[in-house]
Amino acid sequence: MRTDRSTGAALILMTGLIVLLETFSSGQSSAKPGLDGAWAPFTGGRGANAALAPPPAGPLVLKPEYAKRYDAQRAADAEATKRGEPPPSAAVSCIPYGMPRMMSVASYPVEILQTPGQVTIVTEAFSEVRRVYLNQPQLPADEIPPGYYGHSVGRWENDTLIVDTFGIKESVPGYQNMPHSSQMRITERIRLVAPDVLHDQITIDDPVVLEKPVTYTLAYRKLAGYKMVEFVCENNREYIDEQGKVRLRLGGK
Amino acid sequence: MFRTDAPIWRSIAVIAIICVARPALGHHSFAMFDTGTQVTLTGVVTAFEWTNPHVYIELDVPDGRGVKHWTIELGSTSILMRGGWKFNTLKGGDQVSAVVNPLRNGEPGSLLSRITLPDGRVLGNGGPPPAAAPSPADANRKP
Repeated sequence: MRTDRSTGAALILMTGLIVLLETFSSGQSSAKPGLDGAWAPFTGGRGANAALAPPPAGPLVLKPEYAKRYDAQRAADAEATKRGEPPPSAAVSCIPYGMPRMMSVASYPVEILQTPGQVTIVTEAFSEVRRVYLNQPQLPADEIPPGYYGHSVGRWENDTLIVDTFGIKESVPGYQNMPHSSQMRITERIRLVAPDVLHDQITIDDPVVLEKPVTYTLAYRKLAGYKMVEFVCENNREYIDEQGKVRLRLGGK
Repeated sequence: MFRTDAPIWRSIAVIAIICVARPALGHHSFAMFDTGTQVTLTGVVTAFEWTNPHVYIELDVPDGRGVKHWTIELGSTSILMRGGWKFNTLKGGDQVSAVVNPLRNGEPGSLLSRITLPDGRVLGNGGPPPAAAPSPADANRKP
């Protein structure tokens, strides 16, 4: 009888311990429910719940030595567009966007896949893929080959997935086409603000180029049952000619 | 008093959406096309390329002196599917009438605004933002 009572007490104690461990480790869980599936950009607008729309972006403040050239380039691009000459860009050559612009390409959806130890984000435009490794320290800078997606690590803080991305190649067009250095760091706070609305608050810091970090938020709405469409850039008829102008290669000749 | 579910109002609404909708591609600026000018091209499809980053229609257009060939650029496959397009919506030999924005440089290239298909349907260059798929119960429901 005494043995039974001891066993029962031990079982209760163990159960309590398990509950406690699960409670304390919940912030470190490798897979949280809710992010899986396809998501379409959501900008709010008429009829939409304003509380779920993304808040306005913070100011983009470049250091003076970069701001002058950046502003001049923006003005030149605007003038060229007015003249009917689209500014040449990597996108004209069908080169994918990379981080962070891949997360907001027009109205194209993104798909999030949660698997143990990893969150994978696949975009419909250009079929770009980024992988977020959970509960791992970020690699030292000299261990990350510069690329379009860099190296991303993530961790859960309650209901928010915090993602740190480093190692974006300097030639990858930045947020609002801002220039950036190899020291650019992207921090994302991804969370559900409603059962079918996701926010990705993105903060870009670059101690070389920016006076202060810039923060903006992308919002998405759930696309239940949506099947992502393939996007292979096989028939790009646009090209940049010898004068740097974007042209269209015509068919039927 | 009119019935809002009458086919005429539905048709007007569809045409209004087609006219207002601009292709949201994100691939490049449309500055090379003169979006303030519309040209109607009536002719025979010589090729329908269901590809990315853009779908293309190649069109032979009789102009009284012979045939002029035009290239028409559309959105991406994903964006067109939202507007009712399919990979086999057109084929070589189809007779169509397309309203396009021509290239500013005068070459016979253009951006589709809307097109009348051989079966009389009118499609635009894209569609609304992507929507959730209907549930299996909805999919099985007869129209």
